[in-house]
Amino acid sequence: MTDTPMTPVTTTTEPHAQSVVEQGAAFPWFAVFKRELVLYFRSPIAYGIAFAILFLLGLLFNGYVTQGNGQFPADSTYAPGLLTFLTFLIAPLLTMRLIAEESREGTVEVLMTLPMNESQFIIGKFLAAWAYYTVLLLLTLVYHFMMLTIGTPDLGAAFGAYLGAWLYAGAVLAVTMIWSAVTEDQIVAAFLGAATVLVLYLSQIAVSWLSQQPGISGLAELVRELGLQAHYDATLAQGIIRAEDILYFVFMIVGALFITTRIVETRRWRS
Amino acid sequence: MIEVENLVKKYGEVTAVKGISFTAQSGQVTGFLGPNGAGKTTTMRILVGYSPPTSGKAVVAGYDVFDNSLEARRRVGYLPENVPLYRDMSARGYLMYLGEIRGIKNRRARADESLERVGLIDRADSRIRTLSKGMRQRVGLASALLHNPPVLILDEPTIGLDPLQVLELRSLVSELGRDHTVLFSTHILSEAEQVCDKVVIINQGQIIAQGSPSELRSELERGGRVLVRVDAPAEAALETIQNLPGVRHAEAAVDGIIATPTDAHNDPRPQIARAMVERGWNLMELRPLAVNLEEIFLEVTRQQTAAVIEEAALGSAAIEASEEEEILS
Repeated sequence: MTDTPMTPVTTTTEPHAQSVVEQGAAFPWFAVFKRELVLYFRSPIAYGIAFAILFLLGLLFNGYVTQGNGQFPADSTYAPGLLTFLTFLIAPLLTMRLIAEESREGTVEVLMTLPMNESQFIIGKFLAAWAYYTVLLLLTLVYHFMMLTIGTPDLGAAFGAYLGAWLYAGAVLAVTMIWSAVTEDQIVAAFLGAATVLVLYLSQIAVSWLSQQPGISGLAELVRELGLQAHYDATLAQGIIRAEDILYFVFMIVGALFITTRIVETRRWRS
Repeated sequence: MIEVENLVKKYGEVTAVKGISFTAQSGQVTGFLGPNGAGKTTTMRILVGYSPPTSGKAVVAGYDVFDNSLEARRRVGYLPENVPLYRDMSARGYLMYLGEIRGIKNRRARADESLERVGLIDRADSRIRTLSKGMRQRVGLASALLHNPPVLILDEPTIGLDPLQVLELRSLVSELGRDHTVLFSTHILSEAEQVCDKVVIINQGQIIAQGSPSELRSELERGGRVLVRVDAPAEAALETIQNLPGVRHAEAAVDGIIATPTDAHNDPRPQIARAMVERGWNLMELRPLAVNLEEIFLEVTRQQTAAVIEEAALGSAAIEASEEEEILS
């Protein structure tokens, strides 16, 4: 073993008391972001997700086009729409590790004693996951180019669908990341994350039941507005870009990140 | 410089740290000594800004750890108890990552400098998962030294090291103590005695004694009690010692007879020695009590522990509380 002894000051006579205090990084989140993004591109899980999703998307796309058999116009909103639905599976797998692993390994104690706030730490992690998802989303542009070869898809609708899919993913990633902060167990975090997104997605079912009940139509409307589908499937996915839908996703992201920050903070304070 | 004033940390009903006050001076190694679960880690986590105190005040390098946490953190190097590290990174990569968050400009050079200091430069590119426990400990120490902080807080840095590594680490800590404020926790008494300029003894969340090892020693020797071990019938020896004019009280202990002098400043040892020899007994041992930190520690914790046992007997609630405390800390 190359186990050389520790050699203190003997080599340098410079006294260490005259230490210069570093002012701290201007954007510490960027260091966290970079590390996490590199980890995605190094981890077999991320490639596995990408492969599985693109493979599945390819199969479904193939069926979609052949079934259509030239009967309806070329449409570029199919792939992002489908990817958006599948996000309830992708997002938890991408975010489950982010904080749970740090808590389990104890490295959160190292990071949270550096000159960096929780929010910086959480934002760096979140943006890395979102950036990875963005790459995945951009890869599905291949279907748009295929559509271009067989017809003239509505570019406005395509833009809305892709923008919507991107925002939708941001919200879902932020929401699933909450569970990674709650539990140290990645599997539990992934499962609860998927369940939460499904509830938000399928709240539409509750809406149709609620709206049939007399006297609580306001509640039905509230649940509808909180659900994910109301802000994507009917609007952005059709190319209808409304400020309220974009604001909904932005609020979901900011709100979820805020909750995650508070959870990490509370866990730290209780330790 | 670390200043702690009336620091309290509660976890729900359980109070892990019960209003402690101490200071750690620059250019000194301050030992934080206590049994497991005494509140050492809890206190250190407060000092590094990881966990806020319930009440009280802690100032590290001139900044309040709660009100001005980020400024305090810039000036502290911290080695947590279990040395958490990113095992998938290389030693150098890990240090450079922390350096980036800290905003250090020449990260690579600084990382190498730290690794050199802990004698790990030739393993700089090894993944941390492939390093031995002792080497990981050094990576952790290197990360605490990376930004050359004026204050170092090391939580049980010698745990899990082999004897040679322990010696190396102790000498490094003493070395660092010359120009840093070093607070270092341990439950090994001899270690504190060897390395520290000042010792703070903590038990059950309270400071029970503090001072330099020699101060503590003389404080407890002031009673002047001596231990006598003699090759003679126990009854007869006890009676003889008891009847000496300079001895106020003598009692049988596990390893001999403990004699308390009538006057603390009048050493009873010559009298005892003479008496033993006169009776033709072989005197095996005759020494003042509490000559090392171990005995001081046992001495000062004895009454406290007795009190706790009594308390525990009064109700199971107390037992539960102390168990919970152990788990939390």
